[in-house]
Parts: sequence; C-alpha cells; structure tokens
Amino acid sequence: MTESFPRWKAYGVSLLTLLVPGLSHWFIGRRARAGAFFALVSGTFLTGVLLHGGLFPFSSTNWLFRLGSVAEMGMGAPYVLGRALGWGRLDLLDTADIMFGYGNTFLVTAGLMNMLLIMDAFDIAVGRKE
Amino acid sequence: MIQDHFLTLLLFSVLVALFFATLNHRDRRGFWISAGKTLGWMVLGSLALAYLMFWTGR
Repeated sequence: MTESFPRWKAYGVSLLTLLVPGLSHWFIGRRARAGAFFALVSGTFLTGVLLHGGLFPFSSTNWLFRLGSVAEMGMGAPYVLGRALGWGRLDLLDTADIMFGYGNTFLVTAGLMNMLLIMDAFDIAVGRKE
Repeated sequence: MIQDHFLTLLLFSVLVALFFATLNHRDRRGFWISAGKTLGWMVLGSLALAYLMFWTGR
C-alpha cells in the first residue's frame, strides 16, 4: 500500500485529472493505470467530437443540454479547450443527425468517467484504496 | 447505417468495459473477466432493447 497523502494534498492531486485525464494517477505512482485512463477517457472524448456530438454550454436554454454540460465539464481542460476551439458548436451541428446523439453519449460519458477518476485518485491518495 | 449503429455501440461498450475493468481490478485475470462481462451485458442488453423498440414501434 502506498503512503497516504495529507487530506489537503489529496484534494489537490486528485483535481489534476481535470488538466489531463489520468494525471492524478500518474502523480500517485500508478503510471500504467494513468496511461490506460488517459487513452480510454481521451479516446472516448475525441470519438464524441468526431461523431459530431455537442459540447454544450451551461447557458443553454434546453435543460437537457444544460444537464449534459455539467457532465461534460467533468472533462475539465479538454472541455474548455474544445469550447474555445469551437468544437461541438450547436449552431453548426445537425441535431437531427443520428450521430449527434451518439456523439453526445460519448462526450457525456467521457466527462463522467473523468469525475470517477478524480474520486478514485482521491481514495488512493488518502489510503482508502490500494 | 445499421452497421454504423452497431460499430458505434461496440466501440462505446469496449471503451466503457475497459475503463471499469481498469478502475476496479489490479490482477490480469480479474481484469479480463470483468471487461468481458461488462462488454457482453452492454452489447446484448443494448441489442435486446433496440430490437424490442423496433418490434413494438411498428
């Protein structure tokens, strides 16, 4: 079992995943897992973008899109970067396209996966999990 | 188009199954058993639901 971090440091380390998926696990010393998480979460996110899913803004008037934006924000920096680069802009997407729905599913799932990674990294950092 | 639907479903299921197997298992055997079970349930469950919707939607 790895040496546990003080709680304040565990919060900081676990939030690193918001910069790059898997970065927290890398810092904790789970290098192989970190690489796998990076590939899986980034792959899910990029597939969503390539399938023309929407990166929803929180200011959306549609409550379902707003809910989706909360999940997608779990990606952290890639979400912000994607929005800044104009990926998944709703005004440029065909929302009637069946691939729009699939793309959204990938993007929302990637955000939720990243949130789970934050919690997992926190548990490892405080010594709750090996 | 149905092939695209299926490939998308398969890709999504593979990514999710590998993610949860990596999250919850450290030993190789447990990893593959968990990934296989999740993948199987996701693919079969999704197909069952899709065909149910297809048949009842006519």
